[in-house]
Amino acid sequence: MTLALSRSLCKVLSRQTASSSFVLGEHHHAVQSPWFAPVMTLKTSAPLRAEPKKRKKVDPRREQMARERLKKKLKKLERVPPELIPIEDFMTPNKCLDETRERSSPKLSFEESEGRALLLKEWSRYKQKQHKAEVQALELVLEAQREALEELKLESEELYQAALKPDTLLFPFVHEGPVYTPPIPKYDAPDGKYNDVTKVYTQ
Amino acid sequence: MRLSRTAVGNAGIRQFSTASVCRATLQAKSVTERASSPWTLMAAVCLQRLPVISADCNPIEQQFKDMILQMELEKSVLSDHELQLLEDAERMRRKQADDYDSDEEEGRDGQEIMLAQDLEDAWEQKLKSFQPAPRARADVDKDLTSAQRCLAETLVLLAEQQVGKEKLWLLPQTQWQEGETLRQTAERALDSLPAGYKATFLGNAPCGVYKYKLPKAIRTENTVGTKVFFFKAILSDSAPPKAPKAPLLWLTKSELQRYLKPAYMMKVDRFVLGV
Repeated sequence: MTLALSRSLCKVLSRQTASSSFVLGEHHHAVQSPWFAPVMTLKTSAPLRAEPKKRKKVDPRREQMARERLKKKLKKLERVPPELIPIEDFMTPNKCLDETRERSSPKLSFEESEGRALLLKEWSRYKQKQHKAEVQALELVLEAQREALEELKLESEELYQAALKPDTLLFPFVHEGPVYTPPIPKYDAPDGKYNDVTKVYTQ
Repeated sequence: MRLSRTAVGNAGIRQFSTASVCRATLQAKSVTERASSPWTLMAAVCLQRLPVISADCNPIEQQFKDMILQMELEKSVLSDHELQLLEDAERMRRKQADDYDSDEEEGRDGQEIMLAQDLEDAWEQKLKSFQPAPRARADVDKDLTSAQRCLAETLVLLAEQQVGKEKLWLLPQTQWQEGETLRQTAERALDSLPAGYKATFLGNAPCGVYKYKLPKAIRTENTVGTKVFFFKAILSDSAPPKAPKAPLLWLTKSELQRYLKPAYMMKVDRFVLGV
């Protein structure tokens, strides 16, 4: 391979020397034709020195970089936490703080305020008794159920296991609670029309 | 779900093959258990009709209620309606005063048409024209067979059934049969009643048990006594019963004592809530 390289080099050199002698020979003529640029300069001019066009890789990469930067900016903007929905019950409307609305309340006599304090204490005692009675009643109910399950276990294991299974059909259980007056049988209630003005917030 | 085919021809495709084997052994065990146990099993249903109206207040509750309403009224501010009432009263007073100049009024069109007081009177009239159903009716309350009595309390259904030689008042019960759970027995007990009541059973577990031994004369090796398991159910609809002459009673907790035997009552009293 080195032989081939040296041969090609020699050839090039010989060509060059030939061209240079040709040029020098030419110099003897007084006119130098513009079409005959020196071969040396031809080989090293700027357009020939430049790389071949590699636009296909750089542009997609540059566009991708630009897109990623935009996406990052969008994500930063989106990371803002959503606005909290205001709880209307916690904000006193300005109408209520109006001074003209104050009620002229009569002063309470000493007996009246004493009576109220005593009634509050009486009430707390009554409620405590009621709560204790409820808790005891519930404990009795649980005790009765425990006893029943014990007896059932003594009887038969299979029935005991069947009794322990949760009832899937029970829930959701709906029952109308007690009202003030009993429902009138076959009562045709009048249609109540109302405008719903509740404000609906979206996050 | 596991499908398995046995080599034997008549078995065919059996699903839950291991589960069926387990059940077979359990059943064998339970049969032997049941055979050895001297107690007959029965299931009873404690059908409750929950209160329809709110109960009346105690004296202390009434006092407290009044006091709280008064306190809340004192701490409140005037509403729009009350402000309108005050304004109208003021305007009327000014009109009836001697030096009244209608041009000085900040005229609002239609101010004379509807005073707030008139609105209030109209509403009052409308309320009076509506007749709600009475809260308590003495004649219905006395009828023990009606499910509409004592609307403010929970009622429990009692049936008169033959037990041994005598007829007793007790929670409707039937004997347990092979191959059903106790809850199904209780449901059967409910369905066997002449009045077709629809109820929701609360869970699979019994809420109470009552066991009694047979008198020594009848006792054999196999039957020493009976265990009755109670199941709670809530009446879904208070429709009138189809057989009005059926021996059924709806009783409050305090009235149960008059109809049930003392030992039975002691057990039932525990799980029937008086609330």
